[in-house]
Parts: sequence; structure tokens; C-alpha cells
Amino acid sequence: MNAVFVACALFAIGLYGVLVRRDLIAILASVEVMIGAPLLLLVALGARLDGGAAVESIGLLLLVLAAAEAAVGLALLVLVARVVRTTRADELVEVGER
Amino acid sequence: MSMTVLMWALAAMTLLGAADVLLTRDVMRLGLGLGTFLLGLAGYFAAFGFGLLALAEVFVYVGGVLVLVIFAVMLVHRERSGVPRLESRHDPLAAVAAVGIAALLGAALRPLAALDLGGVATGVDAVGAHLLGARLAHFELAGLLLLAALVAVVSVSGVERR
Repeated sequence: MNAVFVACALFAIGLYGVLVRRDLIAILASVEVMIGAPLLLLVALGARLDGGAAVESIGLLLLVLAAAEAAVGLALLVLVARVVRTTRADELVEVGER
Repeated sequence: MSMTVLMWALAAMTLLGAADVLLTRDVMRLGLGLGTFLLGLAGYFAAFGFGLLALAEVFVYVGGVLVLVIFAVMLVHRERSGVPRLESRHDPLAAVAAVGIAALLGAALRPLAALDLGGVATGVDAVGAHLLGARLAHFELAGLLLLAALVAVVSVSGVERR
């Protein structure tokens, strides 16, 4: 199957997950799926357009960005679970409204 | 022929892992699905000839972020004294939005997808020269961002319980 279309499908799966999942852990995992899609697209198109070292170095920088995002997101998740005692997004909205 | 089979296998692995992340209600299966998805991505990188990127994906994501996710799940589990059930509120409008955006992306990228498939061979020395040459500013910025993320994580996780 063509990697470009796989990347499009992955982005759609991740987006749907962000929209419909209720738990912050699952939302964060869906964001990771969404981040994986453009990375795959970059690599697939880089391979086709003979990107070489430029694509690989940009990919490495994107990995760093995604890893930093995941680390900060998980730290916030643990903090929310500790303070509010829930990781469900809809319950967090209710806590915020009170 | 073998490249086509490999691409189909990687597509199946990546999409099934992502679908598991989307559909599962068990938090450990979510981790397993995420791991399958990330390994599939690393397989794609290796298949296209980006060995260093594939290795970094395995080390940083499968070995780092996934372990971090499991640690976070265990911490949350301990704090809440109960296994979190991952629920979804499936919505046709959300499905239409996701499929619509995927269709738009697919239509826009279709001319590029028709190009000939061909891997590239890059060496670590070429990537290193590129990172420390043309992309030096980006490389330094990425390092600064990682430091800021580290400080943020330490700061956030050090907040006392109210």
C-alpha cells in the first residue's frame, strides 16, 4: 500500500481519536498517531524526491520535538491525576466549571 | 515484488496499531497498540533507507516515550486506586471530519504518490555534517527545547498535592 495514503489514513485515525476519546491518556496517544503521519509523509516523499541527509536530519529534529511534547504532556497528565483525581476530559471540564 | 509485500505488511502493522489505539478500552493494550504503530513507522523508515531515523524512532519512542507512558499509567493507577477504563464517545460528525480531512490530504498528495518508489542511502556522517552545517541553528534550538521541556517536566511534577 502506498505510504502517502497510509499517512493520510493515520492522520484521520489520530484526529478521530482526539475528537472522540474521553481519557487524557488515550487523547495523548492519538496525538502521537497524528504526529507519526507527517513524519511518515516526510520520509516517504523524501525517499521519492531523493532528499537524503536533509530529510533524515529534519526527521530527527521532528522526533526531538515529538518526544519533548510527549514528556511534557505526560507530566501534565500525572499532575492532573494527582490534583483532580481524574484523567477524563469531560470530568475536567466539570471541575473547571465549578 | 518483495518490496510491495513489505510495504503491505508495514501498512497493515501501522494501521492496525493505530486502530488499536483508537478502539481499545484497556490501557495496557493501548500501550501495545502504540508500540506496534511506532515499530511499523520505524519499519517504514528502514525500508525507505533511513536507517538512523529508524534506530532513533525505536530508541526515542519505543524505548523512551512508550516506557514513559507506562510509567504515567502506573502512577495514575496508583493515585486513583483503580485501572482506568478508556471510553470513547463515537460521533458521526467527528468521523465525517476525520475522513473528509484524510480525503482532502489524499487528493492533494495524489500526484506525489504516483512518483516512482525508490529508497535513498544516507550515511550517519552525511546526516551529522548536515545537522552541524546547514541545520546547526535548528539543532541548537532542538537542544534548547529539550532542556526547556526537561525543566518544565521537573517543575510540573514537583507541584505539591493540594
